[in-house]
Amino acid sequence: MNRLIFNWPPLLALLLLTVWPRLAAAQRVLLRADPATDTIPRRYGPNRALYQHLYLGYTAVVGAADGPGAPLRYPQSGELFVGLRNKWRVTGATAAGLDARFAYLRYHLRQSSAKQVPTAQPHYRESLSLTQLQLEPFVRLSFGRRGNVVGHYLDVSGWGSWAISSNHSYEDRPGQGQGTRTLVREVRPAYLRRWSWGLGTRLGAGRYALVGRYRLADTFSTQAPAIYPELPRWLLGIEVGVF
Amino acid sequence: MRFRKHLTLWLGLLAGLPAAAQSSASITAPAARYWVTFRDKAGQMLQPAAYFDPAAQARRRRQHLPAADSTDFPVRPDYLARVRALTDSVTLVSRWFNAVACRATAAQAARIRLLPGVSSVEVWPERPMLPAVIHRLQRPAAPPAGSPDPLSPDDLVLARRQTAVLGAAGFRQAGQQGQGLRIAVFDVGFRATNTHPAFAHLYRRRAIAATYDFLRRTPDVYRGGSHGTEVLSCLAGQLPDSTFLGLAPGAEFLLARTEQQGSELYAEEEAWLAAAEWADRNGADIINSSLGYTDRRYFPEQMNGRTSLVARAAAMAVRKGMLVVNAAGNDGDDPTWRTVGTPADADSVLTVGGLDPDTFLHLPFSSYGPAAGGRLKPNLSAFGVAITAVPGGFERVEGTSFASPLVAGFAACAWQQQRDLPVMALFARLQQAGQLYPYFDYAHGYGLPRVAAFSAGDGPAVLPNPTFDFVAADSAVSVIIRPEAAVVPAYSLPLQAATEPLADTPTAEIASPPAPLYWQLRDASGFITRYEVLEVSQRAILRVPLQQLPAGGTLRVHFRGYTASFSVL
Repeated sequence: MNRLIFNWPPLLALLLLTVWPRLAAAQRVLLRADPATDTIPRRYGPNRALYQHLYLGYTAVVGAADGPGAPLRYPQSGELFVGLRNKWRVTGATAAGLDARFAYLRYHLRQSSAKQVPTAQPHYRESLSLTQLQLEPFVRLSFGRRGNVVGHYLDVSGWGSWAISSNHSYEDRPGQGQGTRTLVREVRPAYLRRWSWGLGTRLGAGRYALVGRYRLADTFSTQAPAIYPELPRWLLGIEVGVF
Repeated sequence: MRFRKHLTLWLGLLAGLPAAAQSSASITAPAARYWVTFRDKAGQMLQPAAYFDPAAQARRRRQHLPAADSTDFPVRPDYLARVRALTDSVTLVSRWFNAVACRATAAQAARIRLLPGVSSVEVWPERPMLPAVIHRLQRPAAPPAGSPDPLSPDDLVLARRQTAVLGAAGFRQAGQQGQGLRIAVFDVGFRATNTHPAFAHLYRRRAIAATYDFLRRTPDVYRGGSHGTEVLSCLAGQLPDSTFLGLAPGAEFLLARTEQQGSELYAEEEAWLAAAEWADRNGADIINSSLGYTDRRYFPEQMNGRTSLVARAAAMAVRKGMLVVNAAGNDGDDPTWRTVGTPADADSVLTVGGLDPDTFLHLPFSSYGPAAGGRLKPNLSAFGVAITAVPGGFERVEGTSFASPLVAGFAACAWQQQRDLPVMALFARLQQAGQLYPYFDYAHGYGLPRVAAFSAGDGPAVLPNPTFDFVAADSAVSVIIRPEAAVVPAYSLPLQAATEPLADTPTAEIASPPAPLYWQLRDASGFITRYEVLEVSQRAILRVPLQQLPAGGTLRVHFRGYTASFSVL
């Protein structure tokens, strides 16, 4: 129904309109919607073209060192991490992504007579720690029909990391002199590698995932004594997505 | 060498994980769900008089539908027996879709595909439906066994207004309170419905015709949650002072528990279908479903009325002559969804949005249309804040869950008035009864239905007087409200409100705030590209630059019952 209606009072009003636009703008809008833009399918979302979210988690070091001399304490030995995940949907069941994360890996060394890493000297408490920046590209295989949700998935990934800092820390009790304890931190020891890389996998449902990472690179550099055994390569734990 | 060792370990892990996952899955869920559709119903017959309740037979006669058609015939028992022999369990047999839902392993499913008569075997996704309710505004105190808690004065006012604006007085005067109609309510549970004083009048006159829990397969529906109790109260609940909370206290009810609140069950969608078939057989005229699927399984662009089973089941229910009224959903303020859920997306489902009782405008949480494809949804609106019966008392709740039964009650009264209307004719009349009709937008649909549209009878439609004019200039078009329409009428109290002639007491207008102005821009295909509601504080109300009009499109305006369009020729 198209109507074009004129009569004199409105024409008079039209004359007023020449000076009225600002008043018109003062009308209070009680509701406004723009379906032309509101109804455009989104490109961003858990099962859309792109999705980003934060995540955090903990993985425990699993297994023993590759020889005697580096007994570890479990489950204190492990990695805490927090990161940003970027996921690009490829098909309904597949996606690719890139994780960028901050990870703090610590090996708690059990003090025993067999200890050789990094020295045979016993302490009250001792650890090797690495604060790392990691990048991890992954591919995702999702299971089951779903809407705009993360759903159930299996990720396979490769990762690389660079240690912002690495430390050898120990605590002696009683401490030197009159102190009850002495804390010593050896910064960036030459025997710890700063670069590391490996493979990973995740089995997830929604925001929760079981995480496994396998380190292909060695822990110790070529400057480390030959008697240093390789530390456990597996990290297994859980991850929680923040979304 | 070391790398090869690592690689071996890694491949072992990859090979092991899915196996482990499968093994774990096999412990917790030995079989997946499948939907098995058959090719034919050859040789099957049905005695409608024996199978259908007399009310169902009467409904079909009234609507000139066949007493039964092939979709009512039973599934072939030989097909069924073969599937039963191969699967762990058959959880649903659907006559309407000539199909069964069953649990089976992948190997069993593969064997079912090879059975004679099997048309398709699809994996059946397992997700719950969510009630279209948001948060409660207040919690009742410890539920007393006897008398419910008293309501606040504000709540009492709302309790009366939620039906008054729909014309409760007019329907009551005409003796139309849903008598002779059966309304099926599908919900998560009806806890305390059978003991709550609000429903005592229903049990006194045995108006609960049948109940069934489609999850537990028992007639006991008074468990699982009280959302159904709240919804039912917006159809037929009664306050201690005898105020009815809904418009259909005179109807009969079929209560079906099809959903479980707060947990993942496997059977919700098929339970909805089973309940619809049950409601059909038991003579339901109206199905109220204050439930909806959203993003757990679907994308907004899939809200096309064809993708989900519940949407197809709802459409089939309408084909059987039942009016399906569904809540629009409460995702209007969720930017990732925003639109209606399913089955509210089906064309023939009357989708109801929520209105603010104070402003009579769209509530922010009420889901917006359009449905996929630019189709009009919601169809109508009613109060999305309401007083409902809850275990132990009454309380104010929010959600389109409650707008839906309010409109279902309206539909029951309207249908009682014109009992021979085919369901889609009623659907159209209900839309025409919207206070905005013929204007609509994707927030309000056609707005709040008015009883006056039904009480006017079938005489020639009276065109409303124009309330505004378009004034076109070179670069803009303005909307000027006519002086006679710019008067805010005073309201005089009638001597006796209950006896006031219906035509002279447009209840909605009496109870409503000053009328706003609705306007929209539509493109050449009729799709609304932009719409607004303006508070009217001056006669020169709107000025739209012509360049903002879509090519071939129109500017459409509604004010005080009058709708007109302007387009550039």
